[in-house]
Amino acid sequence: MLEEEGSREKGVLPEPPVEPERYEPGSEPDFERLYRNTYRRILGTLIALVRDVPTAEDCAQETFERAYRNWSSWRPDAPVEAWLHRIAINVAISDRRHQRIRQAGEVIRRLGRPAPGPDPSLVAERSELFRAVSKLPTKQAAALVLRHYHGYTNREIAAALGVPEQTVASRLATARKHLQVVLGR
Amino acid sequence: MSDIERELEEELHRVLDPMSARPIPPRRSIQAHRTLKTLMGGAGAALTIKVLTGVAVAAAAATVAGVATTGSLNPAIWGQRVSQQVSSCQKTLAAGQHGIGDCVSDFSSQHGAAVASAARHQGNGNSNGSTKGNGISNGNGNPNGNGNSNGHSKDHLKVQATTPATLEPEASDPVAGHPPARITRGP
Repeated sequence: MLEEEGSREKGVLPEPPVEPERYEPGSEPDFERLYRNTYRRILGTLIALVRDVPTAEDCAQETFERAYRNWSSWRPDAPVEAWLHRIAINVAISDRRHQRIRQAGEVIRRLGRPAPGPDPSLVAERSELFRAVSKLPTKQAAALVLRHYHGYTNREIAAALGVPEQTVASRLATARKHLQVVLGR
Repeated sequence: MSDIERELEEELHRVLDPMSARPIPPRRSIQAHRTLKTLMGGAGAALTIKVLTGVAVAAAAATVAGVATTGSLNPAIWGQRVSQQVSSCQKTLAAGQHGIGDCVSDFSSQHGAAVASAARHQGNGNSNGSTKGNGISNGNGNPNGNGNSNGHSKDHLKVQATTPATLEPEASDPVAGHPPARITRGP
C-alpha cells in the first residue's frame, strides 16, 4: 500500500498500478523513479506540517537529499514510502524548530513595529480546520495527515514513524480531541 | 468514522490535492551541493583557502625569482644558469685552491635579493644571499603563504669538509686590509 505509484485522490493524480513498485537500494535510476513516484505525496504531507508551500518544497528536497545519502543502506523489506515519510517528518520537525528560532529573532528585530502579514501567495489556503492541524505538534499532525490524507492504517503509520502502534493511536486520539476543542465541537 | 474525521479528510484533500498536483521539480543535485559545501563551508573552507593560497604564492614566488635571475620563464634554464656558474667558478680555481664561495657569491647575492623582492611582493618572504660558497638556489613556499628562499647549497658543506684542517695561521691576509697582530709583553 505504501509503495503504490501516484495517489488515490480522485481525478488529480494517476491511478495506482496493480504491482507495487520495486526498487534496488543504491541504484541511481531507481532513486530517480522513486522521486518521481513519491514526490507529490511527500510534498502533500509536508504542506500540512510546515507553514507554506515554498518551505514545504524545500523540505521535500531536503527529504530526498537525506534519503539519497542513505539510499544504499535502505533495506527493501521495509516499505520505501514509509521510510521517506519518516525522513520527511524529521525534516519538518527540524524546520519547525528553526522556524521558532527565526521567529524569536524576528520579534527582537522588529520590536515596536507592527508585524508584517504573511505573503498570501506563499501561504496555503487554510480553513480554520487546516490552520488548527498546522498548529498541532508535528508528530500529531503527521499522524493525522498519514491517516486521513494518505489513508494509511495505524500499523503502517507506526512502521513509518518507527513507534509502536499504540503510540500512533494515542497521538491520533489526542490530536482529534485537540481539534474538537479548538473548533468548539 | 466521526464527523470530525470525515471533515478532516475532506478538508485535507480540498487544500492539499491542488498543491501536491503541481509539476514535479527536478531533484536537487547532491553531488554539486556537497562539493560546494566542502569548498565553501565549514572547516574545509579554511583549509582549502590556505592550501590554494600557499600553492599560488609558492608558484608565483618561484616563477618571479627565476625570471628575475635568469630572465626566463623556463625552470630548466634556472638550473642551467646555476650549474654554469658553479662549473665556471670551479674552472677558475687555481691548483691547490679550495672553495668557490667567493666566486659564486655575486651570483647568489643577486639571486637572494631577487627572491626576497619577489617574496615580499607575494606576502612574507625571507631571502639569504650568502657569500659562503653557495651556488644552488631554492625557492620554497609553504601553505601559510610564506616564501622562503636560500642561496645556500650543499656545496658549502662539501667544500668545508674537503678542506684540510690546519693549525697554521694563514700565510697572508688575502685582502691585505689588516696588519698582522703583534703580541708584546707588557711592562
